[in-house]
Amino acid sequence: MKILHKIVELSLDNPKKLLSIYGVITLLFLAQFSKITVDTDPENMLFEKEPARVIHDEMKKEFALHDSIIVGVVDESNTNGVFTPQTLNNIAAISEEIMKIDGVIARDLISPTTTDDIRGGGGTLVIEPLMRKGVKDEQEALAIRDAALANPVLKDMLISADGRAIAIAVPIKAKNQSYRIATEIEKIVDKHKGSEDYHITGLPVAEDTFGIEMFRQMAISAPLAGLIIFLLMFFFFRRLSIISAPMIVAMVSIIWAMGFLIGAGNTVHIMSSMIPIFLMPIAVVDSIHILSEFYDDYGKTCERKKTFLGVMDKLMTPMIYTSITSSVGFISLALTPIPPVKVFGAFVAFGIMSAWFLTITLIPAFIMLMPERYMKGFGRQDTGPDRMTAIQEALGHFSTKRSGLIVGLTLLVVIFSAYGISLTVVNDNPVYWFNKDHRIRVADKVLNSHFGGTYMAYLVLEGKEDGVMKSPEVMNYIEKLQDKISSIEAVGKTTSIADVVKKIGFELRDQAKGSDVIPQSSEAVAQFLFLYEMSGDPDDLYHLVDPIYKKANIWVHLKRGDNIDMKRVIEETRTFMDENKPPAGIKADWAGLTYINVIWQDKMVAGMLKALIGSFVMVFFIMTALFRSAIWGAISMVPLTVTITFIYGLVGFTGKSFDMPIAILSALTLGLSVDFAIHLVQRARQIYSENKDWDKTIDLLYEEPVRAIIRNAVVIAIGFTPLFLASLVPYQTVGFFMAAIMAISGFMTLAVLPAMMNMMKNRIKM
Amino acid sequence: MFKILTAMLSVFLLPSFIFAMTADEIIEKSNIAYYYTANDGKARAKMKIVDSRGRERYREMTILRKDIKDGGRQNYYVFFHEPADVRKMVFMVWKQAEGDDDRWLYLPAIDLVKRIATSDKRSSFAGGVFTYEDVSGRRTSDDTHELIKEEKVDGKAAYVIKNTPKDAEVVEFSYYISWIDKATFLPVKGEYFDKQDKLYRTITVDETKVIDGHPTAIKGTGKNLETGLTTTIEFVDVKYDIGLKESTFAERYLRRPPREVR
Repeated sequence: MKILHKIVELSLDNPKKLLSIYGVITLLFLAQFSKITVDTDPENMLFEKEPARVIHDEMKKEFALHDSIIVGVVDESNTNGVFTPQTLNNIAAISEEIMKIDGVIARDLISPTTTDDIRGGGGTLVIEPLMRKGVKDEQEALAIRDAALANPVLKDMLISADGRAIAIAVPIKAKNQSYRIATEIEKIVDKHKGSEDYHITGLPVAEDTFGIEMFRQMAISAPLAGLIIFLLMFFFFRRLSIISAPMIVAMVSIIWAMGFLIGAGNTVHIMSSMIPIFLMPIAVVDSIHILSEFYDDYGKTCERKKTFLGVMDKLMTPMIYTSITSSVGFISLALTPIPPVKVFGAFVAFGIMSAWFLTITLIPAFIMLMPERYMKGFGRQDTGPDRMTAIQEALGHFSTKRSGLIVGLTLLVVIFSAYGISLTVVNDNPVYWFNKDHRIRVADKVLNSHFGGTYMAYLVLEGKEDGVMKSPEVMNYIEKLQDKISSIEAVGKTTSIADVVKKIGFELRDQAKGSDVIPQSSEAVAQFLFLYEMSGDPDDLYHLVDPIYKKANIWVHLKRGDNIDMKRVIEETRTFMDENKPPAGIKADWAGLTYINVIWQDKMVAGMLKALIGSFVMVFFIMTALFRSAIWGAISMVPLTVTITFIYGLVGFTGKSFDMPIAILSALTLGLSVDFAIHLVQRARQIYSENKDWDKTIDLLYEEPVRAIIRNAVVIAIGFTPLFLASLVPYQTVGFFMAAIMAISGFMTLAVLPAMMNMMKNRIKM
Repeated sequence: MFKILTAMLSVFLLPSFIFAMTADEIIEKSNIAYYYTANDGKARAKMKIVDSRGRERYREMTILRKDIKDGGRQNYYVFFHEPADVRKMVFMVWKQAEGDDDRWLYLPAIDLVKRIATSDKRSSFAGGVFTYEDVSGRRTSDDTHELIKEEKVDGKAAYVIKNTPKDAEVVEFSYYISWIDKATFLPVKGEYFDKQDKLYRTITVDETKVIDGHPTAIKGTGKNLETGLTTTIEFVDVKYDIGLKESTFAERYLRRPPREVR
């Protein structure tokens, strides 16, 4: 501790030198910003070598599945929906131009003009694209619709069952080009568009949009939060010049943390984009404590250096401990197996420690540099009891006189909250990260109400030898498996090679009744498929089966991307496969992004729980070390325990899904809600050791120390309200949590802690 | 002065005017040399398809061909030997001078003959890189031809011709360039450019041999640069003028293959 006080003195004595050193360091970190790369790919929630991701990547290559932009065309204005000559011709023209866009994999474009349909009848088998441009009349348009609806592969994927919508899937070579390609598609659509509506969406578009929104939030929300914090501080301290110091501390620590993160070669993910927002309140907390006490004490002597050193005597210990405990909360995130979360935790921790060091050096330097005229009239004037002091005193009396009631109520709250936690639904769906009225959410809703589902999962079956997928036994099993999966509520459609075989058989027999079945010999299956290879586009098949027929790929379309829905699909499929063993030693593996989301979420929930318990234990040890007493350590853990229980209980009660943003916030809750307790307990014991009188201690405690805590709680809680206006839900969640954490942990600390101390004052050593 | 200049110019230019063939003539002659060799022919084709992931497929078939008119109608009969589960499948084409070709397929497993109607001649032949048009020829009148240069390729003097489709909508390429051997008029290679004008497909003739007096391509490779698919084809037992009758190319011979393929 001695050395820290030395550092403070050094800063008080050499303010200019210090500022120029910080200036240089900050510029160096700022220079790193030019190297920024944004990563919004949800696949990166898993390590590249994660088995589920390896299988997923392998599967994408194996079955030539690309990331696709979806152009959904919907017309609700007439009974024939999109099946009017005008709209179909528009779609044909749009498809043709889309194929010319650089970066589009034209050969795999799925559109009515490029996708083959098989039709039998009159002894001839016709294999032709569903339509060509130049649709003449209504009759022709409706014939196209009927053909599409009679094709089980196309129905609900290319054409909606209600005939009102068509989806064009535009596969792209690289995801990072999706923004440019989507923009070009928009231009093409605008050129040809008629009365029908177009929705441009798909995962690559969602990711890109998210990346752009992320930057917007970084550029708007964080500074806006900063501004409000600034205004509130102005309200408390009335000195623009002095309150700019904490703002500079916050800005500089954000620049350091982000600069370091980028400079170290990390990509900026959704999580790390929130670092500025997380650091903003944490960084100003210590400064507010210092300024608060300085403001209250300065008026007494009007000597800056002496006042400051006096303030630091009181605050040095709690400040370093609060910073360490907050860091521990975030460092524990490194225990999760999710790369972006690890990076986030590590760099927030770095930012917190930077902010702490900046606070104890930059604030004194800043105060010393302040011209004398700015200091005139600064500080609290003793003008008798004001409203705030009255509230503080009332609070103090209340918590000591009604200790039993307060502790009892708290216990009740904890019990209720625990029940709430038991109601928690663990679920996530990255689409919910967008606001309800965001165009991505709108497109998602419209398309999933018409089609089989835009959320894809793939069940990959692998046999032991080449050609095994052609056996009727295997084909029949695939059919049964599909029936089972399709019966699950969230599943809108499944597609497999068995559907194609059945369709070919049906059309070969001129659509005779009962002929859409799987043939009885593997030769027949082989010949049906060979026919398709000879007459249609063989690549169509190879999305569903590998060219050597060792593996098959069942496409599962889900109407919702919720993890709980995917989990149900996984579980019911597993049960079915356990009860109905697949033939020929076939093994099954899931892939697809909807599945990947489940995997990383499971890892995250388990990881976060570990992180929370780990940091809880760590913080307890740190508290015990600080107070040199396990009992005091335990007491100071009470506010944070109650806060976390209450907040997660609330999440459970409201039915809000426990998703990634909420999981991450446990670290923030832990880190922030322990701070007030440290300050209060530390100060209570300090004051008590000076005058050995409990009542007097309470009185003194409820002056400066409590005022600092209230100021902090108010500044941070209100400072984050702009986040409610953010267009990304995780930001809104953070805003809500900030306010809740501050309010609850503030109240817990100010009411419950003194009450507990009061009840135990005779039993434990203060 | 002007007279001298014109005289000089005509001395330089005249020979090329007299001896040079137009692009259309070159393509026409190549088409006859390559796809209409002799009056009829028979060959056993061995095709290997390897994709970018090294997965191999093998096809073996006997092909009979009968020309009705050089450069015009001709008939093909393709009998599959391998893979084993499609053995005895037959694919028959009546190539027409105009309009869509007639195609039939015989599926022995369900003993069914089916006419196949598709206007798409650019689809893959038997799952490889080669298309129907690569195997049976693209109608020369479907493209405009332009002689862009002459150069040596693989040690052979060749014409280099750019072919641009008249109806761009029905094909997947925007144009293709063919190298045609000046000596034999067999193609040496072809390069196909997609709608974004990127080279995406190449076809090469790897080995030629004179059989019964006819220069014949006996080995070829097709590569799809986009998908990484490679297909090699090798012709063995090539025979010409074996006296095939037009009546052999009839529906009833699909179920009961003619002796020539057995």
